[in-house]
Amino acid sequence: MAFPHRPDAPELPDFSMLKRLARDQLIYLLEQLPGKKDLFIEADLMSPLDRIANVSILKQHEVDKLYKVENKPALSSNEQLCFLVRPRIKNMRYIASLVNADKLAGRTRKYKVIFSPQKFYACEMVLEEEGIYGDVSCDEWAFSLLPLDVDLLSMELPEFFRDYFLEGDQRWINTVAQALHLLSTLYGPFPNCYGIGRCAKMAYELWRNLEEEEDGETKGRRPEIGHIFLLDRDVDFVTALCSQVVYEGLVDDTFRIKCGSVDFGPEVTSSDKSLKVLLNAEDKVFNEIRNEHFSNVFGFLSQKARNLQAQYDRRRGMDIKQMKNFVSQELKGLKQEHRLLSLHIGACESIMKKKTKQDFQELIKTEHALLEGFNIRESTSYIEEHIDRQVSPIESLRLMCLLSITENGLIPKDYRSLKTQYLQSYGPEHLLTFSNLRRAGLLTEQAPGDTLTAVESKVSKLVTDKAAGKITDAFSSLAKRSNFRAISKKLNLIPRVDGEYDLKVPRDMAYVFGGAYVPLSCRIIEQVLERRSWQGLDEVVRLLNCSDFAFTDMTKEDKASSESLRLILVVFLGGCTFSEISALRFLGREKVRCWRRSP
Amino acid sequence: MDCYTANWNPLGDSAFYRKYELYSMDWDLKEELRDCLVAAAPYGGPIGLQSAPSCWTVLCQDRVAHILLAVGPDLYLLDHAACSAVTPPGLAPGVSSFLQMAVSFTYRHLALFTDTGYIWMGTASLKEKLCEFNCNIRAPPKQMVWCSRPRSKERAVVVAWERRLMVVGDAPESIQFVLDEDSYLVPELDGVRIFSRSTHEFLHEVPAASEEIFKIASMAPGALLLEAQKEYEKESQKADEYLREIQELGQLTQAVQQCIEAAGHEHQPDMQKSLLRAASFGKCFLDRFPPDSFVHMCQDLRVLNAVRDYHIGIPLTYSQYKQLTIQVLLDRLVLRRLYPLAIQICEYLRLPEVQGVSRILAHWACYKVQQKDVSDEDVARAINQKLGDTPGVSYSDIAARAYGCGRTELAIKLLEYEPRSGEQVPLLLKMKRSKLALSKAIESGDTDLVFTVLLHLKNELNRGDFFMTLRNQPMALSLYRQFCKHQELETLKDLYNQDDNHQELGSFHIRASYAAEERIEGRVAALQTAADAFYKAKNEFAAKATEDQMRLLRLQRRLEDELGGQFLDLSLHDTVTTLILGGHNKRAEQLARDFRIPDKRLWWLKLTALADLEDWEELEKFSKSKKSPIGYLPFVEICMKQHNKYEAKKYASRVGPEQKVKALLLVGDVAQAADVAIEHRNEAELSLVLSHCTGATDGATADKIQRARAQAQKK
Repeated sequence: MAFPHRPDAPELPDFSMLKRLARDQLIYLLEQLPGKKDLFIEADLMSPLDRIANVSILKQHEVDKLYKVENKPALSSNEQLCFLVRPRIKNMRYIASLVNADKLAGRTRKYKVIFSPQKFYACEMVLEEEGIYGDVSCDEWAFSLLPLDVDLLSMELPEFFRDYFLEGDQRWINTVAQALHLLSTLYGPFPNCYGIGRCAKMAYELWRNLEEEEDGETKGRRPEIGHIFLLDRDVDFVTALCSQVVYEGLVDDTFRIKCGSVDFGPEVTSSDKSLKVLLNAEDKVFNEIRNEHFSNVFGFLSQKARNLQAQYDRRRGMDIKQMKNFVSQELKGLKQEHRLLSLHIGACESIMKKKTKQDFQELIKTEHALLEGFNIRESTSYIEEHIDRQVSPIESLRLMCLLSITENGLIPKDYRSLKTQYLQSYGPEHLLTFSNLRRAGLLTEQAPGDTLTAVESKVSKLVTDKAAGKITDAFSSLAKRSNFRAISKKLNLIPRVDGEYDLKVPRDMAYVFGGAYVPLSCRIIEQVLERRSWQGLDEVVRLLNCSDFAFTDMTKEDKASSESLRLILVVFLGGCTFSEISALRFLGREKVRCWRRSP
Repeated sequence: MDCYTANWNPLGDSAFYRKYELYSMDWDLKEELRDCLVAAAPYGGPIGLQSAPSCWTVLCQDRVAHILLAVGPDLYLLDHAACSAVTPPGLAPGVSSFLQMAVSFTYRHLALFTDTGYIWMGTASLKEKLCEFNCNIRAPPKQMVWCSRPRSKERAVVVAWERRLMVVGDAPESIQFVLDEDSYLVPELDGVRIFSRSTHEFLHEVPAASEEIFKIASMAPGALLLEAQKEYEKESQKADEYLREIQELGQLTQAVQQCIEAAGHEHQPDMQKSLLRAASFGKCFLDRFPPDSFVHMCQDLRVLNAVRDYHIGIPLTYSQYKQLTIQVLLDRLVLRRLYPLAIQICEYLRLPEVQGVSRILAHWACYKVQQKDVSDEDVARAINQKLGDTPGVSYSDIAARAYGCGRTELAIKLLEYEPRSGEQVPLLLKMKRSKLALSKAIESGDTDLVFTVLLHLKNELNRGDFFMTLRNQPMALSLYRQFCKHQELETLKDLYNQDDNHQELGSFHIRASYAAEERIEGRVAALQTAADAFYKAKNEFAAKATEDQMRLLRLQRRLEDELGGQFLDLSLHDTVTTLILGGHNKRAEQLARDFRIPDKRLWWLKLTALADLEDWEELEKFSKSKKSPIGYLPFVEICMKQHNKYEAKKYASRVGPEQKVKALLLVGDVAQAADVAIEHRNEAELSLVLSHCTGATDGATADKIQRARAQAQKK
C-alpha cells in the first residue's frame, strides 16, 4: 500500500510466508494418509482453508470428495476419511457417530482427525468416552494466523470472545501465545511490548515462557516489527458498540465481511446471482474508499466513474494501431475497474437504502448523545421506541449496551422496563441473552443509590483490594464499572469542534465516527506509543480497572532511529471492528505505520 | 486322551506350564556332558557339542559373531547356523593341539599358539597369514594378547607365561621380559596394560612421532627443534643453527606438529612440557600456524594428567581418550561420584552448560537425594544452593528421583524450585498431590494440563470433594463447566446446585426447556423449575418473565388449537400482530390487556399492522379511538412508507405543532411547511425546510424563507 503522506513508510513484512507455511503443513498432514481420501471440513474452516489451499491443491494430494461437517449422516463411500475441524466437542461427537455407525455395519475404514489450530485434551477425552479413540488418528494443523490483507492478520477464532469474556475459559490464550511465538520466529523478536487487560497479560506471559524455553532462536535477528501492543476487547466495548460509518465498516455491518471476503447479493450485483468478492488492498477501487467516511464515498465513486468514462472515450479519435494498443493493453484493466466500480456503487446504494429505512440519522444522533452523555432520558425513550417498533433485535441490544456502558449501568427502573419491552418484542428466549450480557459486563444495572461519585469511590476501593491480590475470580467483570465518562474526559475522546467537522480532510481519528468520538482503544494505543510507556496514564488505567494488567517491556538498547521500529503490531484479544482498523490506519499515516490482528 | 492335561503344571491361578519330549536321541560321546562345550542356535537350529575345546574365541566379521574353537589339531568356526572346519593358511605342520588363541582389539587379526611352541598370526578371516614365529616353548602360555596401535602397520603379539613375557612379531627375534610377580594382560586400543600385585604397566609400540624425535642421532625436524629449544634455553647460539637447518629444509611446521603430537604420547608431565615448549618455541618462527592443535593438546594433557593421578586412577592414553570422547570420560567420573573434578574439567574446557556443568550437577543432585541421613530441608537447600537456576537443570527430574527413593516431601520441596509449573504437574499427580498439581497446572496457563489434572481429581475424589476443589479454582471450574455444557449436562446441574447458584440453575432449566422438551407440558414444567430457581436467586424479574413465558406458551397453544396457524414461540409482540393481521382484533385487545402491553407499544403495533394490511379505514378509526400516545407523526411516516400520500396528509394535519414541519415535509408540502416554520420563527425548522427546497418549483418558497430570516434578523 502506498501512502502519499509518508513516502518513507516502512515496508511491511511478507505475511504470505504464513500462508505458505500453513499450506505446506497441511499438505504434509494429508500425505500422512496416503491414497485417496474424502475430506470433511468444518463450515467455519472452509473460508480460511480456501485462502490457504484451493480445491485443486487438495485434489493433487489425493483428496477425492469434499464434505461439510454437519449433523447429517455422511454418504462417503471412500475407504479413508479425513476430518479437518476446530477442537470442539460437538465435532467429536459427529465423528464418533460416523465411526460407530461404520462399526455397526461391520465396516472398517481409516479415519484421521486434523485439529486446527490445536487439539485439546477434552476432545481426545470425548473420543475416548465414545469408544473410538483407538480407531482414529489425531493430528494438529497449527494454522493460527491468516493474513487477510497486507496489513491485517486474523486468527479466525470467533469463539474466542465468548469463551474467554463470557465463560472465563482460558484455553485459547495458549493459542495466542503460540501465534505470537510463530510471528517472532518468522519476523524477529519484538523489541517493545505493551499491553492492557488480563488476557493480554496472560497471553504475553505464556508467550515469554515459550520464548525462554527455546531461547537463542530469535536472538540476534533483526526485528522487523518494532512494537507490539496487546489489548483486551473488554477494555473498550464502547467502540465496538458504535455504528460504523467508514465504508469498510458499513459493508461489514450490512453484508458481513467474513474471512476478508463478502457475499454481495443480487441487489448489489444487479444481476440474479450473488457474488463473492475479496476485499483487500488488491481491489484498487475499494482500497481508496475503504477507510473513508461514507459521506465521501459517493462523490469519490462518481468522480471515478467520470474518469473511467473519459478513458473509454479516448478511443473515439483513435486510428487502427492505437485502437489495437488500447484493446490489448488498457481495455482489460479498464473493464476490471469498471466491474469493481459498479459493484461498489451497487453496495453503496444498497447500504443507503437499508440505512434510510431504519432512520440511520436518528440512530447516529442517539449514539452521539450517549457518547457525550446528554439527553439521557431522550435517548432512553428512543431506545424504547426502537424496541417497540422491532427495528432490529441486534441494533436494539447494541443501543442498550451502549447506554449501560456509558452510564455505568442502567438505573433499575430502565433496566427492568427495557428488558421487559425487549422480551415482548423479540421473544422470551432473550432472558438468557440478558443473563449472558450481564455476566460479560455489557448490560448491567446500577446498584440502587449509586451515584457516579459513589461508584467511583467504590471502584477505587476495589482496585486497592485487587492490588492486595484479593480478586481471583475470573469473572471480575461482574464487579467492573466502565467509568466511560471519566475516561472520555481524561483522554479527550469527544473532540471539541468549532463549526463543521470536515470529514474530507480528517484531522484526528474521530473521523471514523463522523467526528464525534475518538475510538477509546485506538486512543489508548496512540497515547502509550507516544510516551513509550504507561507513564502518566495511571489514572486512566485505574479507571479501566486494569491496574494490575497494564505492562510495558522494552529492550535495553533502544535504537529509536531504526527503520523497522516504526512498525507496530496491535493485537485485539476478542476481535476488532473495521472502524478501529481505519482509525489505526489513519494513525499510521499520520505518525507511524500500524497493522493489527484480531482473533 | 482322557489324561491329556496330566502333564500340565499350574502356576498361579490362571496359567499352566508343560514339558514334553520332541524326540528321543543319544549322544555318541565318550566324555560326560559337563566336559563338553555346547553351542546351539535359536529357532530350533542345530546343536553343536564338542569335547571341551582346548581353547576358543569370539570372532566378529561383517557384524556377525562367530566362534572359533580348537579341538585337538582341528579348528572349527561356528556361527548361528553351521559349524565348519577351517585351516589357517600356511600353518606349520605337526600341530596336535592349539593352546591359546587371541583376537586383536579391532577383531581384524588372529593369533594361534600351538603345542609345538609355534605362533601363527594372520587375519581373523583365516584367509591370510601375516607372519609366524617359533618360540620353542611348549609350555602353555597363561595369556596371549595382541599389541597394536591404530594406523600402524606393525603387528605384534604379547605372550605371557608364569614368569616370562614375550613380544613377538614379524621378526626372527622376540622381546622378552621377566615377570617378577603374577601378572595379567589387558589388551587396549593402542597397547597392552600389564598389572600385577604391585605394578601397573603399559606396553605399546612407540608412536612414530616419538620415534622420530627421540631416536638416537635422529635428524628429523622435530628432533632438531627439541634440540634447538634446549640450546636456546642454555642461551647457546647452536639454537639458531638448528633452527636454520630446519627452516632451510622448510620443515618447521612439520617439526612443530611432531613435537605437539609426541607430547600427547608422553606419560611424564616433564617430558610433555619440554616437547610443548619446543613446539611453542618453533611456532614463534612461523607466520601462520593455526593455534588450535597446540591449544587443544595443552588442554587435553591437562585433563589426562588430572585423571591419571593415582587418586583417580584412570590411566588413559591420548589415543584412548580421543576414542572415548570427553562425554564418556565425564560419565565415568560421574559414576565414580567424582563430581568436583568433572565440573572442573567442564569449566576448564568451557563445555556448554547443558552438556557440561548442568548435567553433572543434575547427576550430583540425583545422588544427593539418596542420602537418607540428611534432612529434607537440608538436601533441598543444598541442591538449590548449588544448582540455582542453572539452565538445563530439570528440578522435576531430580524430584522424580527423590520420589523414586521414597522421599515424597523432599520431592515436593524440590519441585518448588522448578520454574516451569507445567513440569511439576505429572510428578505431583504421581505422588497423589492432585490439589497441588491443580494449582500448578493453572499457574502454567496450559488448559490441557489443567484438564488432565481435573480428570485425575474426578476419579480420585468423591463428587462432593471434587466440586469443593473446583469451587476454589475458578479457572478450572469454568473449564470444567464448558466441558460439561457439551458433554455432561447433568454434572453441570449438580455443579450449580452445589454452589447454590440459582441464577445459573434457572438459565440451565430455561435452556433445557428449549433443547430437551418437545411437548408443551414438558416445556412449561421446565420453565416452572426455572422460575422457582430464579425466585431462590432473588431475581424477581427473571422469575416473572419466565412465568409470563409459561402463560404465553399455554395461550399460544390454545390459539393454535382454536384459530389454527403458527403461534408457538412467537414473541408477545408478534403474537398480537399475527392476531391483528388475522383479523382477530378482539383477541388481540384481550391479549394486550392480559399481558399489560404498554399503550405506546400497542399503538405502534396496531399502526404498523393495519398499514401492512392497508386497512386505512380501520386505521383511521383506531387513530380516533383516543388521543395517540405516540403522536401522529408516526402515522404520517408509516403511511408514506406504504406510499399512501392521501392517507398521510390526513394525519399530517393532526400532528402537534412541534412536529408539524417534519410531517408536512414528509408528505411533500414544502410551501405549507415553510409557512409553519416562519410562523414558529424557528431557525432550525427554517433551515430544514430550506434543505428540502429543490429545483424551480420551490424557488418561491425558498425566497419566502430568506425574506422571513432577514426580517427576523432586523428585529
